[in-house]
Amino acid sequence: MIGRTPRWIVPIVGLIALIWIVPIIGLVVTSLRPISEVILGWWSLEKFTLTLDAWTVVWDKYPLAYAFWISCKIAIISTAIPMLLAPAAAYAFHFLKFRFRRLILILIINAFVLPNQVVIIPLFRLWRDLGMIDNIWSVIIPFAGLSFAWAVFLVKNYLEDFPYDLIEAAQVDACGPLARFFYIVLPNSLTPIAAVGILQFMWTWNGLLLPVVFLRDELPLPALLARIQGVYDRNWDQVAVAAIITTIVPLLVFIIFQRFFTAGAQTKSGSKE
Amino acid sequence: MSIAQTTEMGGPNGPPKGTLRIKVPKQLSDTQAAWFLLAPLLIFFAISVVYPVIETIRLSFYDIRGLAPEKFDGWRNYVKLFSDPNFLTSLKVTFIWAISATFFSVTIGWGLAMLCSLNPAKTLVFRVMIFAAYGVSEAVSGFMWLGIYRPDYGLLNGILEGIGLSGWTQPWLGNPSTALGAVIVAYVWTQVGLPLMTCFASIQSIPKNLFEAAYIDGAKSGSVMRHIIAPLSMPGVRVAIFINLLNSLKAFDLIFILTGGGPVRSTETVGFFMYRESMLNFKLGYGAASTVILLIAVLIVSIPLIMKRTGDAK
Repeated sequence: MIGRTPRWIVPIVGLIALIWIVPIIGLVVTSLRPISEVILGWWSLEKFTLTLDAWTVVWDKYPLAYAFWISCKIAIISTAIPMLLAPAAAYAFHFLKFRFRRLILILIINAFVLPNQVVIIPLFRLWRDLGMIDNIWSVIIPFAGLSFAWAVFLVKNYLEDFPYDLIEAAQVDACGPLARFFYIVLPNSLTPIAAVGILQFMWTWNGLLLPVVFLRDELPLPALLARIQGVYDRNWDQVAVAAIITTIVPLLVFIIFQRFFTAGAQTKSGSKE
Repeated sequence: MSIAQTTEMGGPNGPPKGTLRIKVPKQLSDTQAAWFLLAPLLIFFAISVVYPVIETIRLSFYDIRGLAPEKFDGWRNYVKLFSDPNFLTSLKVTFIWAISATFFSVTIGWGLAMLCSLNPAKTLVFRVMIFAAYGVSEAVSGFMWLGIYRPDYGLLNGILEGIGLSGWTQPWLGNPSTALGAVIVAYVWTQVGLPLMTCFASIQSIPKNLFEAAYIDGAKSGSVMRHIIAPLSMPGVRVAIFINLLNSLKAFDLIFILTGGGPVRSTETVGFFMYRESMLNFKLGYGAASTVILLIAVLIVSIPLIMKRTGDAK
């Protein structure tokens, strides 16, 4: 609420927002029109019929359901790992003293700048030698490993405001360091843990580079989409359905939990509110 | 807050009951507990960060083709890289890509954030609409933009014909001189949501009495924007610049879907060059050397961040 606002602001922003979602509208419309109309452009209005044909055919045409299942497995496992391990590490870094603590901490939280490309060649050779190409763990391990940089940082930031009295009280009551983590810190850090989970779920679901390189047949949705686009590019309506199915889960997660993403972005860059 | 709930465990009404009384026969020391809690994470971290970084640097000094035995090659890969016109092009493309994508995403996002902050309530839906593009998988964004750039019946050519500019129509992604611009536009479309949100959050945290004071002094919204909102939203802008710069240096997904680096490598960034040389041409050592260059570029961009994080790490 900032004083007198010029009237043109809302319509202008609204117009930009409408233009902004044109590609999304295009995708949905493409999936709902018969291919004979779509090839004239999804926006053509000479003849306009809506049909769910593409939506029913596509499941037999592409292994979409299977890819959906693979995507779920990859995203859920690679999300669960940092949700469990990052709070434990953040607790150790923040409340416990041990040798090399600061060195390890600095190494981990600065790894967030690493591009995915850096891990590809060595891990490709490693997975090949271990026979793990086309095994979903070949993607899950680096997804989890690369997430700790920001996940540990995010939880540790939160712990900086954690009331130390609670820890001390537990210590007086003969709680060991592990018990203090499991009974005091962990139950009270659910907010940052949820943030880690939501951000990581989105990023691992959407990831394309690692699955394209390490997987062959066990393809998650984005990689499958990339492949069918190259092979069957005439069936725009069906590819559109595949695209919607690829992005519907992360998009909903994203819209529902958007505030976590701004928080996550700030964590990635290291600034705090 | 959930912290309040735990206080009742050891609360004022006497000793804690139940959960807190854990019978620990022998307590671990802090050090043992720390390593116990850290060990699984360190294993993941070692396999997927420490080992690959060291190994990539090592491999960049070797000549490796597919499964053939590796051969130490000194600086040959690097010498070859800098005389390889394709790599030099990819450096140029990465530079153009990172600078222009960051510039446009942040400028547009910041501008929109300032407009929205003048009427936060009524623009909420619009902010979510623009931000939503950031939540779409890049692979899917790529497909959406293919539908816009298609030479035959793409939306862009359709609009140009509709407004009588049929001379301007062209295969946007097939023409080496327009492809990079076209991919950058699509990339900016996906990215704007982030600066919009970080800048908006920054503006929201400006103390309200500043605005009141300005309006009492008779300031117009234009000058409020210029003298209060713009300078005080800088923290959000800085965050957005860093994230966009880092993300655009690593960009891969959208290029993979839209152009595959083509036509004639006009949209090939270093991140994509690395993929082509190592995964398609199987020159792993050569690809590793280009990755090291990418890594150096990323590290240079993130020096301020790394310094800050290292300083803050207590």
